[in-house]
Formats: sequence, C-alpha cells, structure tokens
Amino acid sequence: MGSKLTRRAFLGRSATGTLGAAAVATTTEKARATEGSPGWRGSTRVTQIATNCEMCFWRCGVLAEVANGKVVKLQGNPDHPLTKGRLCARGNAGIDLLYDPDRLKQPLLRTGARGEGQFKPISWDQALDFFAARLQDLKQKYGPESVAFFPHGVASSFFVTLLKAFGTPHSAEPAFAQCRGPREVGYALTFGSGLGSPEPVDLEESRLIVLIGTHIGENVFTSQVTAFAEALSRGAKLIVVDPRFSTAASKADWWLPIRPGTDLALLLAWMNVFVTEGIYDKEYIARYGQGLTELEAHVREFTPEWAEPITEIPAAQIRATAHAMGEAKPAVALHPGRHTTWYGDDTQRARAMAILTALLGSWGRKGGIFLPTAIKTGQFSLPPFPESKRGRADGAGTTFPLASEEQGVTNGMVKATITGQPYPIKSWIVYGQNVLESIPQREKTLDAIKQLELMVVVDLLPVEQTRYADLVLPEATYLERYDVPHIAESTKQPFVAVRQPIVEPLYDTKPGWWIAKQMASRLGLEAYFPWDNPDQHLAKLIEPLGASLAELKARGAIAFEGRPYLDERVPADGPLFPTPSGKIELSSSTLKQLGFDPLPRYTPVVDPPLGYLRLIYGRAPVHSFARSENNALLDSLMPENEAWINSAVARDLRLSDGQRVILQNQDGVKSLPVRVRVTAGIRRDCLYMVHGFGQESPALRRAYRHGASDTRLMSRVSIDPVIGSTGMRVNFVRVLQSEEAS
Amino acid sequence: MARYVMVTDLTKCVGCQACTVACDTEWDVPLGFARTHVRFTGVSGTFPDLISSFHVAQCNHCDRPACIAPCPTGATYQAENGIVRVDKDLCIGCGYCVDACPYESRYINPVTKKVDKCDFCASRLEKGLEPTCVATCTAHAKFFGDLEDRSSEVFKLVYEKGARRLETAEVAIGPNVYYLGKKEHLDLVLASFAPHPPRMVRAGEWWSKVVKPLVLTAIGATFLGQAVAFFSQLRTGEKEFDE
Repeated sequence: MGSKLTRRAFLGRSATGTLGAAAVATTTEKARATEGSPGWRGSTRVTQIATNCEMCFWRCGVLAEVANGKVVKLQGNPDHPLTKGRLCARGNAGIDLLYDPDRLKQPLLRTGARGEGQFKPISWDQALDFFAARLQDLKQKYGPESVAFFPHGVASSFFVTLLKAFGTPHSAEPAFAQCRGPREVGYALTFGSGLGSPEPVDLEESRLIVLIGTHIGENVFTSQVTAFAEALSRGAKLIVVDPRFSTAASKADWWLPIRPGTDLALLLAWMNVFVTEGIYDKEYIARYGQGLTELEAHVREFTPEWAEPITEIPAAQIRATAHAMGEAKPAVALHPGRHTTWYGDDTQRARAMAILTALLGSWGRKGGIFLPTAIKTGQFSLPPFPESKRGRADGAGTTFPLASEEQGVTNGMVKATITGQPYPIKSWIVYGQNVLESIPQREKTLDAIKQLELMVVVDLLPVEQTRYADLVLPEATYLERYDVPHIAESTKQPFVAVRQPIVEPLYDTKPGWWIAKQMASRLGLEAYFPWDNPDQHLAKLIEPLGASLAELKARGAIAFEGRPYLDERVPADGPLFPTPSGKIELSSSTLKQLGFDPLPRYTPVVDPPLGYLRLIYGRAPVHSFARSENNALLDSLMPENEAWINSAVARDLRLSDGQRVILQNQDGVKSLPVRVRVTAGIRRDCLYMVHGFGQESPALRRAYRHGASDTRLMSRVSIDPVIGSTGMRVNFVRVLQSEEAS
Repeated sequence: MARYVMVTDLTKCVGCQACTVACDTEWDVPLGFARTHVRFTGVSGTFPDLISSFHVAQCNHCDRPACIAPCPTGATYQAENGIVRVDKDLCIGCGYCVDACPYESRYINPVTKKVDKCDFCASRLEKGLEPTCVATCTAHAKFFGDLEDRSSEVFKLVYEKGARRLETAEVAIGPNVYYLGKKEHLDLVLASFAPHPPRMVRAGEWWSKVVKPLVLTAIGATFLGQAVAFFSQLRTGEKEFDE
C-alpha cells in the first residue's frame, strides 16, 4: 500500500514567484491528479492571486487560484491581517457568482413598461451616452439635486465621487437607515465616535461576551466568528438575549429569551443593578465619565423586578447576569449589534448599550471595545465639489437632526420622491443594493419609482429592481475588477488590502471604476478622476505607506501597528472622547439640546393581535442579504428559508414541520409559500425568517420564488425620531394553510 | 508511520458550512453531493431548557474500515498512514462500499461514475498543506494531525482534552475523526447520527449479483462449449462414418 501512495506521490513543487507587473503572487506547478482530483488539479499551471472578498462586506482576504484562464478555487489568504487564511461558505462559493449563467451580460435599455422586464441590448457607448444626456437634461429641468444615488459597499466610492461632482448631495444607503445607523449615532453620542465596520469588539480578549439580538454564527463575518469561537474555547462566558434559540444561544451560559421589543427595559434594569449595587467601574467613570448623578436618579425605579413582567426574564436572572458582567469587567465584550433598526427607539437602545459599556469600563479596554487607529493614505487634489443650496431632501440633518449626511435616509428619499417635497427627485441611480429588498414598505418604493424620469441600475444579476430600470449596466464581479482598497482602521491591527482582478471581465461587463470614469468624461467632470488606470489610483493612495505597489498586490494586504487601547493612545490620535464635554456622556448633552431624552427610557411595545405572531428575521451563514440566493453552491446548501414557529403554537394551528404555508401580515400583504420549521427554539409570540429569499425575478433561474421575502411583509415601520431609520420588527403575521392561501 | 486523525470541536463549530463549500470547490463535488457536510441535531428539551448541536460529518478513516471488504476490485484500500483511499482506476462504481459505510460518508459521483469521499485532502497533505476544510474553518474548530506525534495539537485534544470517537457498542470500528464538546451535546449528536451497522449483507449480494451470475455463466459457457464440441464431433463423426 505504501508503494501505491509513493507511486501517486506529489511530483515536486517548483515555485516560481513572479511579482510585479502582472498581479501574480505565486505560480505553482501542481501535481498530476491523485485519486478524486478534479481535472484542474491536473498538469495545468495554477496561478494564485491575492484579493479581497465581496460575497459580503467584511472583505476577507482571498487567494484566488486560476487554471487555464478560469478561477478554479478561492481560499483564504494566510497573509491577510484580519482573516488569516479563513473564508466562510460564501467566500468559498464566490466562483459561482463569477460563473453564474444568469448574470447580466450587456447593457440593457428598457423597451416595455416598468416592471415587465422588456429590454434591448445596446453597446456601452450607446448606454453611457444615453445616461449622460439624460442626467444633463434632468439637471437643466430640476437641478442636480433631483438625482439620488442608492449605493452600498465600498465599491460604490467611484460613483459617490461622480455624483458629488455632478452636484447632488443625495446618497442614501440602507447601511444607515435600515442597518447600522442607530448604533453608530448612539455610540457617537456617548463616546464621541461611532464604531465603523468591522465593529471593533475585542472578542479575543474578552472574559464575557454579551449578544443582544446579535446572532454570531448565523451571521458570519469570518474573523468575528473565529474570535467568538476562540473566546468560548478559552473559557469566556456568554450571555445571549434573543427570543430565538440561535446558534449562539445554544452555546450560551445564559440564554435570556426576551419578549421581543423590550430590550431597553432589560438594559435599564442592568444599569439599575450596576449603580445601586455599586458594581460599575468607579475609577473609570470618575476619570472619563459625565452625567452619573442623572443616570443614578434616572434608573433608580427600573429595578429587575420592574423589568421582569415587561421582558419576561426573571429578576433573579437579570441580577445574576449583571453580576457576571460586574465580575468580568472591563473585559466584557458587549456587542453593539449590526442590524439595529428594530422598533423605532433604536438610537436610544444603542445609547443604553453604550452607557452599559461605559459603566463596565469596557470602551478602549482589553476585552471590551477597542479603538481605531488612523492610516494616512495619499489623496488626489480634486477640484472642490459644487455646493447645493437646496440642502438634502431626505430629512438627514433637518427633520432627523442626527442622521448621517454622508449616508442619508433611504426611506426619507423614497418619501421625497413620492411627494416631490421639498423638491422633486426625478432620478435614482442604484448600485450594489436591491432597493426592493433592502428598504421596507415595498409599495412605497414602487410608488416612488413610478415618479422617476430616469432609473439606472448597476448590478451583477437580473434582480427584480432591474426590471424597473430604464437602463441596466452590467458590472464585472469583484473577481474581475479593481476597487478602492480596504483601508481598515477599526481593526486591532490596521491594514490596507487590495481588490484586484483575477480574470478579465466576462461577457460585455465593465468594472465600476471604468463606468464612473467614462461617465465623468461624458459629463465634463474628468478633473475629479485624475488617473488613467487602477494602478495609478492605487499607487497614489498608498504613497505615504512606504509599501510598493508590487508588494501590496503580491501579498494582498499590508498591516500596521495599532493603538487599540486607551492607555496606548498618543496625542496624534486626537481627543479620547470627542463629545461636546470631552467626556463619556452618560447623559447626552446633544440629545438634551435637541429636545430628546438625554437618558434612554423604555417605551412599551404593542403585543401582536390575537392570532398573529411578531415577524422577526435574521441571517443564515450561507447567504448574504438578498445577494447570494442564485449562487449554485449556496443554493444547493440552502435553497429556501423557513418560517420558524414554536412547537406549541404549531400544534394549536395544526401545522406540521416542512408544511408549506402562506404568511399574511396585519395589512393583508401575503407572502410566497414558505415551509414551516416547527421548533422549541423560539418564543410563542414570534415567527422567524431568514432574510433574502422569495425573489421575484424569473431571470434568477435558481432563486426565483424560492422561499418567502420578509421585507415584503414589512408594510409597517416605526421611524426613529432621532435619525429617521426604520424600525422593522413591528409587523405581525398570521399563518394561512394552503387552502386558505389561494 | 503517521496516524492521521481529525478532531472537530463542536463547542466552537457554528455550522457555517465553510468546510462543505471549501471541500466542494477543492474536489469539484457535483451539486447535491458532499465529501464533508454539516448536520444539525435539531432542538431538543423543553423551552427554555434547550440543547442543540451541529455535527460535521466526513469519512472517518476507521481503524477497521467496513468499506474495504465489500469492494470487489480492491479499489478501496487503506494507506499506512491510516487514510482510506480509492483508486479511481480500479473503481467500477458498484456502490457496495457506499452501502457498507456505517457513517454514510461515500457517494457515487454521477459525473465520473466512481465512488468519492474524503481522503483528508491527501494531495494537499503531500504539499504540506492542511485539508481545505481545516484551513478555511471560520470557527477554528477543526484540527488535523498525527496522533502518533506526542507534540501534535490532535494528540493533546484526544489524550488530554478527551476528544471522543463517534461509535456505539454495536458499531465500533475505530473512527479516526474525533469530537470535542460537552457530554450532553456529544450524546445528542450520537443519538441523532448513530452509525448504522456495516451492511455486510451487501457482501452476500456481491455473491448473488456478481459472482454467482459469473460462475453460472462460466458453467453455462462450459456446458455450451462441450455441447458444441459434442455436436461438432458428432457431425465430424458422421462424416468419418460416411467415409
């Protein structure tokens, strides 16, 4: 048998590292196929190229292997400072995005009615000429502000520049008003700066991890999962607050199956225990904090006994978990969450979490929340962007004083488009997101689209929104294009990482940078793109870093020394707490000044009507939002979502596991058929679905009508008064059996 | 000689399927099949006292593999380092080993018509790389190494941390994939995915479906040949007689 192995043994490794002009890291002669080896592992030359992933937005380091001009394998890049060679299911499956036969293949001009999906293919020249002429026309008729941009992800930055140069302040990302907005603002109000992405939670060093509605493990960001699992393996304790028995809950020391919507009551009760029992970090608060007296008075009445009937968590358990935090402080990783737009009081809930973080002395301390370290990159000197005199139309900075003016309020933009107030919005340009799946109240979004004179969608796949576009521009995938590098400052070890093309764009697709640059020259805005090719662009950005272009491209990333903890900070890092008072604001002076509660309070939630369940939603480890459902490999692992229903409720409703039902919400909106998952792992008052399924575009041949869309059932939202974001866990559904369903 | 083993720490595993997809792309596994895959036990217990676990399944490279004996051509064999391998040139795709495996770790590849299964990424090992599932595991829950090397991580996990084999009183063939976890979780995994007894009955079928027809054909052929010879001789004899 040994001889058999020897006979098949590897023939030898001849590495010919060729760095430089070609973006090639290493070239390795691979062995003749052994048993089971796929053909590409045969005698072909396999090239490895470093890049970063875009199957989600964590941007893990990838080594792509190419054989005979085809990407044959994606694996983690061991040299990547954050992800160190690990890659999740989606990252591994990126090949099937690149080679998805359903991809958009050429520019398309709409010929039928909006939504019909009738198009004719046109050339890029025709497409971009049309696009530029229409933009100029709209600028003349309604002003440049009538154009709104709906981006997502870093790859959109070239379009951000283009549209700013064009003269519109309108960029509206669901990453703010449907996702991270509340936490960024809530933490900034308290500590002076937000968290950024990846969120700087020091799971590695924590002694206790607290997850509130955050489901690490089902929500997979590679390095976060690694740090989480390593921490548990080291013996860190875990508290999980979730109405559902999530993967994280199954590993928890304390699972608190909270009544949905009452998180703020729990957080206030924890604060009450901290201050009444004096188990907060007194030295830290005395040194850095402000507003403790107000906080003490404010939380006095919010005892665990007060919170018990509200949250349905026993007071003893509230105390026990508070004590566990007190013992582990400051190494308590109270995770701020990521998707935080739940009930409309979300900025205040994020504030409460920030206050707890402060009381535990965890901000800027080992095992808590660490601090970013800025990287100085090179900048092109661009002409100043034209200033809009009319201001934003979506309420960012006005109706919603603390909404980000960089990221905008998507739902505010939808409203302005429908009403034409404060002035008409006549064009949407959508990039990297799917407005029908990312923004709730779909009917409103469709209404807004009807008002548009121009809708342009830059996308990879023929998702539903493309059917409403006047012009569809097919972009090259992340494996075929250059993007702005990842300047990672909110990581313990800051770094710069590249995204570079692994193969030439397939079909007649083009990279985003090329499209934006071409548009700039058609609009007379060349001065904002003072570079000829991606190499020049990258070289300028990394100029001050002391790294060569070839080195960066070969290794994929370059890391720097970080100063993640308070006691390591230097004056160049700026003030420790850039709040108005220069201190951690337990009581927020900014909120007080704007007429909001300076300290968070609990607003009672409405219970589901009789016969209805509260709709809650989340993620699965093998899919990213509504982006990956058509991916062959990922579809084969999870082709549809399920409606999780508590077993006692299922028994009452005579539902069986795996049965297909239709969900109907409080406003009569019905879902596509979806399978029931009968489980003890969810409370009786809610129903859980994984987001992203139930896609309505027949051109997505795998994903079409697989499972049901949670977004479609969100006809109601609760608007956060501070930042305008949409609380989305305020919808109720009932279950229709199949005969009722028709 | 090395004794290769895998240890999967189920306290760390989050069931994310990175291993599954990495394996699929490494080995061009056709959609719907798998060399390694993640299973979920489902939730048991009474709300809110619940437990659940994932189970990462693959070929166990058993000490006493149940898949070798049923192989009619000798394609399945065990290397000295313990890795159970399949010689694709010899495999006829009969599937007897697929039925025999108590862990359901093998499948017939519909493209190649040959049996396929985990070989601990033998071709990567030869290049000094870890199996692809280990390298990509987001939770750093998978460990691979030589159990005979006392300084190895797997040695510590098995002999110091008590990583367990997934076997029962009925099926104890020495699997070399070990699991770490709380006892209640490992018991749940074992209860949910217990190995079935090796289906050696297939060896009987091997007799009835392949050997017996072959023997009968041979006998038949001999008989037929004899008959032909007899009649031909008869005819020749007649000629001789005529003369």
